[in-house]
Amino acid sequence: MKTKRSMVLVSNDPASQKKGASEVYNQFSKELAAFNLSDEISLTMVSDIHRDDIAPFVIVYPEAVIYGPVKPEDVHHLVEEHLYKGRIAVDLKAPTKQLTGPISWIADRKGTLPAEQRIVLERAGVIDPDSIEEYVIHDGYTALGKALTEMTPQQVINEIKESNLRGRGGAGFPTGSKWGFVASAQGDQKYVICNADESEPGTFKDRLILEGDPHSIIESMTIAAYAVDASEGYIYIRGEYSLAQTRLVNAIQQAKELGFLGENIFGTDFSFDIQIHAGAGAYICGEETALIESIEGKRGEPRPRPPYPTTNGLWNKPTLVNNVETLANIAPIIRNGAAWFNAYGNPSSAGTKVYTILGDVNVTGLIEVPMGITLREVISIYAKGMKNGAKLKLAQTGGSSGSIIPADLQDVPMDYDSFAKAGVTMGSGALLICSDKTCVVDLAKVLINFFRFESCGKCNPCRIGNQRAYQILTKISEGLGTEKDLADLGDISKWLYEMSNCGLGQTAGAPLKDVMSHFVNEVEAHINQKECPAGVCKMSGTMPAQK
Amino acid sequence: MTVNTKQDRDFIKTADEAVDMYHAKKEELIPILMKVNQDLGYIPKPVMEHISSRLQVPQSHLYSVATFYHMFFTEQTGRHVIKFCESAPCHVAGGREVFDALQEDLGISPGGTSDDGKWTLMTTSCLGVCAVGPVMMVDDDIYGNLTPDQIPDILAKYE
Amino acid sequence: MAKITIDGKTIEVENGTTVLNAARQLEVDIPTLCDHPELTPYGGCRLCLVEVEGARTLQPSCTLPVSDGMVVKTETEKIREARKFVLSMIFSERNHFCPYCQVSGGDCELQNSAYAEGMTHWPIQPNWHPYSVDASHPFIILDHNRCILCRRCVRACGELVGNFTLGFEERGADSTLVADLGLPLGESSCIGCGTCVQVCPTGTLIDRWSAYQGKETDVETTKTICLGCSVGCGIDVLTRDNRLVRIEGDWTATINHGLLCDVGRFLPMVEERERILTPMVKTDGKLKAATWDDALKVAAEMISKHKGNLDGVTSTRVSVEAMAQLRNLCEAFDAKSLLTTEDCQAVSAIYHQASSDQSALEGKVEDLLDADCYLTFGEDITKDHQVLSFFAKRRIPEGAQVIQITDKVSGFDNFATITLKVKEKSLADFLIDLKDLISGKSGDMALIAEKYSLDKDELQSTLDALQSSEKSVILFGSRFDFSNSDAVVSATRSLSQAANAKLITTKGNINSVGAAALGYEGAGKVQADLLLMVLADEDLTQCIEQKFEKAPKRVVFSSYVSPLTAGADVVFPVENWLEQDGHIINFDGHILEQHAALESAPEVYSNSNAIEKLASILNVKNNTDWKKELDKFTSPVKIA
Repeated sequence: MKTKRSMVLVSNDPASQKKGASEVYNQFSKELAAFNLSDEISLTMVSDIHRDDIAPFVIVYPEAVIYGPVKPEDVHHLVEEHLYKGRIAVDLKAPTKQLTGPISWIADRKGTLPAEQRIVLERAGVIDPDSIEEYVIHDGYTALGKALTEMTPQQVINEIKESNLRGRGGAGFPTGSKWGFVASAQGDQKYVICNADESEPGTFKDRLILEGDPHSIIESMTIAAYAVDASEGYIYIRGEYSLAQTRLVNAIQQAKELGFLGENIFGTDFSFDIQIHAGAGAYICGEETALIESIEGKRGEPRPRPPYPTTNGLWNKPTLVNNVETLANIAPIIRNGAAWFNAYGNPSSAGTKVYTILGDVNVTGLIEVPMGITLREVISIYAKGMKNGAKLKLAQTGGSSGSIIPADLQDVPMDYDSFAKAGVTMGSGALLICSDKTCVVDLAKVLINFFRFESCGKCNPCRIGNQRAYQILTKISEGLGTEKDLADLGDISKWLYEMSNCGLGQTAGAPLKDVMSHFVNEVEAHINQKECPAGVCKMSGTMPAQK
Repeated sequence: MTVNTKQDRDFIKTADEAVDMYHAKKEELIPILMKVNQDLGYIPKPVMEHISSRLQVPQSHLYSVATFYHMFFTEQTGRHVIKFCESAPCHVAGGREVFDALQEDLGISPGGTSDDGKWTLMTTSCLGVCAVGPVMMVDDDIYGNLTPDQIPDILAKYE
Repeated sequence: MAKITIDGKTIEVENGTTVLNAARQLEVDIPTLCDHPELTPYGGCRLCLVEVEGARTLQPSCTLPVSDGMVVKTETEKIREARKFVLSMIFSERNHFCPYCQVSGGDCELQNSAYAEGMTHWPIQPNWHPYSVDASHPFIILDHNRCILCRRCVRACGELVGNFTLGFEERGADSTLVADLGLPLGESSCIGCGTCVQVCPTGTLIDRWSAYQGKETDVETTKTICLGCSVGCGIDVLTRDNRLVRIEGDWTATINHGLLCDVGRFLPMVEERERILTPMVKTDGKLKAATWDDALKVAAEMISKHKGNLDGVTSTRVSVEAMAQLRNLCEAFDAKSLLTTEDCQAVSAIYHQASSDQSALEGKVEDLLDADCYLTFGEDITKDHQVLSFFAKRRIPEGAQVIQITDKVSGFDNFATITLKVKEKSLADFLIDLKDLISGKSGDMALIAEKYSLDKDELQSTLDALQSSEKSVILFGSRFDFSNSDAVVSATRSLSQAANAKLITTKGNINSVGAAALGYEGAGKVQADLLLMVLADEDLTQCIEQKFEKAPKRVVFSSYVSPLTAGADVVFPVENWLEQDGHIINFDGHILEQHAALESAPEVYSNSNAIEKLASILNVKNNTDWKKELDKFTSPVKIA
């Protein structure tokens, strides 16, 4: 018996019939025959599943994807994408509705339930990263070809501007605007730099993109270079990511061999070359100007801004610096158009975002979802709940300098604007989810220690402020804290923001500030009752020996 | 530098290889130091002197760069270097208990080298493998999902 | 141009001006610590933060360029709190024990900043971690406990002096000032110029002599000239109660712009010679104290007796006024020769060449400031006339090339892009061959390289550098014992013309040019039986002393006891360099003014006055106007 590999069910309930389900069915018949798939794919009908809102709908197995509403003219695209190429046709997917059990609260949620939509991680884990052929099969380098042969640099920039893409490294600066600044800057030489120095604790999205889909970065950088008129590019990658470095070196070599990089790309006048430059263990080199200093062979100490790298960057020339994840969105946007990208997320936060899920939950890992998902959704749907039924106490979003949000803010949509309104930073998308087992003093101490260790040392507030804060938090955790210590911590976090030279210092005090506004009782328990409610802090009564 | 011993000659050879690999360009100082660090396990002062002279870069600049980046060692380490992640995600995943076990097993405090020259223990910042925390690196090997009882077996793998 | 309003006052400034500099133009005082007018802005201390309308956070005024329409406030409640915070952080970082510090009570910029904000104690306790004190250097003490990590010293050592000894090791709270690869300062490549000491805002870098001698508020400052060498650096001499406290570079001086070397800054602090405080006359074979009148009578008699048989000798530390007076007096008594205490012929050689060529073709010190190719030979300029080497070395990071021709170890070895090891005796010939190569007269590079045992590629690079540079300078260290000075000098002049390079010769001592311009022979032979010597306060080498000791009779004007005074017939006490006024002409023809910073003892007069007394008793009128004399000879460098 010949087995079918796929099953297509077209709805035939009255509501669907009214909206042309028969035509849809017939069209499927025709298209399957046209694509020579009739023997492999079975086509049948399905009756009512109480989804009037999406009639006529189509269900495809084995993926159990529900498409709807489907019009006859959509069928060609659906067959080509899903049944022929093997990719879910995301634009036709129906919003899902699951109303039972622990997530019945979703019924209140207006709009779509966020399902994973992989754009930047589309190919990671699916293709062989060492094979340029597989990249090309998956639409690789088509965006570059389109840009170089059908678009002017200004048109490319406009497309990115219209897409409302914002920087994914943490700062959230509108990417199109940044490209515009570099394009219009005066300079006989311009550079494009990919910031692959991913060192934010809890963040490894860039690593997965680089290890799993290195060509996507090469293609996107080349598009960027074309847009801003740069002839040389650098990928600054942290020294610890040796596998990603190897894959990138390989990918660059392959791209050059096939004419996708180097002289006269795609046979046009445009030439662009990329060098890999590895870091050597300094988180601060993720800051744009410190990164540039590092490429110039110096200590990674951030420069005063203004002037900005867009006008005075590498070797004082106009330089575009973009994060890996940001760049990974470029080729898809050029390929599919700004409007397609805008369909994800919401007006202030278009597109998808990669979130890493970490902490006291059942499933840790990485998801890519449209912007606007809430913390509760992340925990319940993707992390499969708190470990051992523990209670959510707080989550830190955006890496070690990100906001600490208490459990009562878990329903705020995670997009730039909603977060900003609630006084929370988005950052790099890391989500560190903590239960009652976490002590806020201990957590704050660990976070400040990171900044103390990674501070470049140039400016006083950061260099000394982090050191003092660490010592004060250690004091509190040993049961030696005083009220003055609280006041000092408040001062330090306030002035770190106001006075530091760069983002590291400016945001180092953010978690401290959040702890003191949302969890001050717990901190005071350490000081006044000499107690650690979570039972974590040593409270030994002595200060540990110092270096 | 004065070349007296075979070690001196080896140092110069390593330094020259690294410098030549990057065409003696001043701005490639960091990759050059990285190559030496990988070849020798650290960057000895005589090597720094030689690189300084070949690149025409002041010694103070070279030293300030070599000590800024924490993947570089300017002193000899133990035969094996353990880097234990002390960032928040690994910590929340239970890192402290594992680190206490590690310290006890090795008998060294962070930054130190064991008396027999076998181990150097260091804490490090996030390595980018957070989903499997707590994490540590021994030389180039990464170990994740650590629990205190795994430590003795892992350490036993190394000579 | 851009308009900026600071605290309600508006000013228009050049594009690129920082907010801090705009404020300075408006006489608005913004406190700073890491900033220094002579150094590139750093932006690290964060004391200079201001409120800028529309900005999210406070902004550093020292690095922020003015943008048109900017509105800035410098004295708000927030800013004052911010300053207090950062100062409290600084005090908590290291161990600032003000009561025990040499600069406490007025000279410490950190302490002054804190007082200015009304602070009287540390708001946050430090962690009491002890830091080291590095006392390995002969001149400088480095106390890390007091360091505020402002990096002024690192910037000064690099940007101003070009030596790059200082750097910073580690990062974050572990950052520490370090020399070379982590050496004690006394074992490092530090050249002891002390520029770091001068710019250090706290008591971290101090010199060994001025400690506790006086503070800025106690001392008097006199601007005068260093007499250490022919460069003639402008200096600030700090004195208190008629004692020398400290010497610093004068930032406003047009020759050196505040730079100074160890010869000018530290060597004069150590004076161990015995001071001559009264005239002395040799009686019964021994020198005995005498009155001026008696001593003058004896000297006058000797001079009259030796008419036509006397030589005039002047130290080159003597002013042109005094030199002119001496010459006047000597000519009145038909002196056989007019000599100086110099020890090499090159200066006279340079002068003679200039006369015969009738050209003042040498450049001025400004030419050193922006050249992109420096060719140096002769003396090691990093050891002698050091400040000139600073100007060359500090251009190296900008891409300037330094090429040295020497067969000895030199202080340029770590800096020079090319070193051509030509033997000293072949230097003149080599310079001529090089000239021919440049001017195209000769094309055989390989042959010439072989002739001098040089690497052909290095010779080619030298040529390329000279020909492709926009501005090249030949730095000829002329205080050097050439066997064939005339030939070398002549070759140098030809080479500079062929290469279209500015020529700068260091000449010799502080007033060697003055002496040559006034017709002194320089280091010539002693011919007469009586020497009329104006030694001033010069510390002569044994060699020179022995040369002059050969003359049977001597009348000496000197500040300090020496073998030459011990064996003299008459000795007159004269003021040392800090005690007298006068003019000198430095290596590039600048007429510089010395100003007295100290008062001398009652019986001690200036060289000028002392010679006048002698001349007067001999009825010799001083009719030499030194200014007019300068026109008589063609000087190698234009005197102005």
